[in-house]
Amino acid sequence: MTGRRPAIARSAALLAATVFAVWLGYWLGPGDRSLYTLMGLYAIVAIGLSLLMGFAGQISLGHGAFYAIGAYTAGILTVGLDPDDRLIDPEAGIDPALAVIAAPLVTGVVAALIGVPLLRLRGHYLAFATLALNLILLAALYAQSGFTGGDDPGLSVVEPLEVFGWRISDVTGGTPRHAAVTWVLVLVTLLVASNLVGSRAGRALREIASSERGAAAAGIHVSAYKLRVFVLSAGLAGLAGALYVFLFGFLSPEAFGVILSFQFVVMVAVGGPGSIYGAVVGAVAITWLEYELSDLGTRPSLLGVDVPDQAPQVFSLGVFAVILIVVMLFFPRGLVPALGHALRRLTPSRRAAES
Amino acid sequence: MTELLQLVVIGLSTGSAFALVGIGLVLVFRTTGIVNIAQGAFAVLGGLFMVALVDDLPGVVAGLVVVLIVGLVGSIVGFVAVGFRRRTTSVASLIITLGFALLISALSLLAFGDETHTYAAISAHAWELGGVLVQPQHVAVAGVTLASSVLLALGLQRTIAGQALVASGDSRRVAELVGIDPRAVAAIAFAVAAALAALGWVLMTPVDPVRWDSELRIVLNGFAAAAFGGLVSIRLAYLGGLTLGVAEQLVVGYGDAIPGIGDQARQYELAAALVIMLVLIGWRSRHEVHE
Repeated sequence: MTGRRPAIARSAALLAATVFAVWLGYWLGPGDRSLYTLMGLYAIVAIGLSLLMGFAGQISLGHGAFYAIGAYTAGILTVGLDPDDRLIDPEAGIDPALAVIAAPLVTGVVAALIGVPLLRLRGHYLAFATLALNLILLAALYAQSGFTGGDDPGLSVVEPLEVFGWRISDVTGGTPRHAAVTWVLVLVTLLVASNLVGSRAGRALREIASSERGAAAAGIHVSAYKLRVFVLSAGLAGLAGALYVFLFGFLSPEAFGVILSFQFVVMVAVGGPGSIYGAVVGAVAITWLEYELSDLGTRPSLLGVDVPDQAPQVFSLGVFAVILIVVMLFFPRGLVPALGHALRRLTPSRRAAES
Repeated sequence: MTELLQLVVIGLSTGSAFALVGIGLVLVFRTTGIVNIAQGAFAVLGGLFMVALVDDLPGVVAGLVVVLIVGLVGSIVGFVAVGFRRRTTSVASLIITLGFALLISALSLLAFGDETHTYAAISAHAWELGGVLVQPQHVAVAGVTLASSVLLALGLQRTIAGQALVASGDSRRVAELVGIDPRAVAAIAFAVAAALAALGWVLMTPVDPVRWDSELRIVLNGFAAAAFGGLVSIRLAYLGGLTLGVAEQLVVGYGDAIPGIGDQARQYELAAALVIMLVLIGWRSRHEVHE
């Protein structure tokens, strides 16, 4: 679709984006900065899910679960596996940096366990298995409260994240460095994903997405490719979850409800399945929307009408529902790519002038 | 032994309700190729509407009204979810049904609040057979499920309309060539599926109270039942539902004996369903690959 820009221009654009993203982390106030960091974390998840939906033709309704697995893996490894040791020994766990590295690996293994039997089949078994994983994980997080802290008291992770003595997070949470590191990782993920898309593997995946039978006939090992994308995608969610731990230093199952998984699907739907840049835009837009909606839902009254207690949930569920239906019906390639098309059509002059 | 039989009896009836949901999924998938995530939401609507109407109308009339209303809702969802020719993929349709599932949840939460809802059973009396208690509600669910599965299977096989529905699922283009409208097919299939799910929870609600967010648990169990038959066989979905219901009851009943789970067995009902589903699908996929 897009013409190949010269490599130098692309590198320059990437560098500019990195500088801007890092600068924004330092410029924003504490509240906005947390939201900005969260947008980055969700963008990492959305890029992975977009790869899965656009290139493997599969949908996961449990990416919130992979995000949670990453978060709890990193959190529990940091504070220590043994609940009794945690209380008396502040050094019970491992180095937070190692915990953050371990989290995506554990998440990837869980994804592989589900993906191996299911991705051999055509059809949408994966959607249901991941949704089931999500509900089971939630039940387990609440039920095994000795291990996970449950929702009361939850899991506090006060140890800061440090790499070679360079302190990324702090006890207060939401540091500028954390925001900067998160957004640099978003750009790294973008780079890796766009290289993957342009590679031989990417061409194989595109073939699979358009016709599985055709791809198999062309000698592509369909289920192996689908499995790799799924594991990569889950691993990215796990990485984002691990970084989330050090944003607020506190984990509770309430933060990982099923709605989070649906929210990720909405981000990808808006950004366009398979469009990795769209996924970032979708993540930023939907995270902001969710923030505004919850703000709206907690007001005592709206337009003179009393707001019921359930309003925050009703608002976000309802708005996500309408977005999903309308976007998938009228812009199945995504809202962001559709807007891009419309803009290009409005400004036809540039290409005409060049030629 | 009595305890085991008691669990089996309860399992067969809850399994029947899962089977009803699963059969609806099979019907929709076979005729339109769509995996319908809103199927659980239809069941919840059935339960909630029944609770709202049961005080004002005689039970049977209320049940029929509810089933008709939810069937109508289903037909609208189907009409929209099938989307546009050549533009709407099966993933897009699945996401549209997810959207409707969320929309129905949001509206149920708004209208019925955050509580679980139930209504009094047909009869408080329970028969005792050799120490095993059998509630009329359980018998009703099992009987209705068996009857509707047989009727649906026969209807698809023996009637022109049924054959048209199945043909549309086999090849949408060929069906369109002979004058079958895919939107009409989807509307009919979704309506029947929604009516079945609603019927299931009109009957189940006295023994299994519903809440606005029960839909995910219900649709997951229904899907696990349908997956036994690869989403295409009504008979296997029926058997799958029963197996699943009994297996889950056994996990709940004997879960205390499983180390590390103990008294939280109830929370692992779904885990049992997923593991059973994964094992069976894994076994099936092995077969398919070697074919």
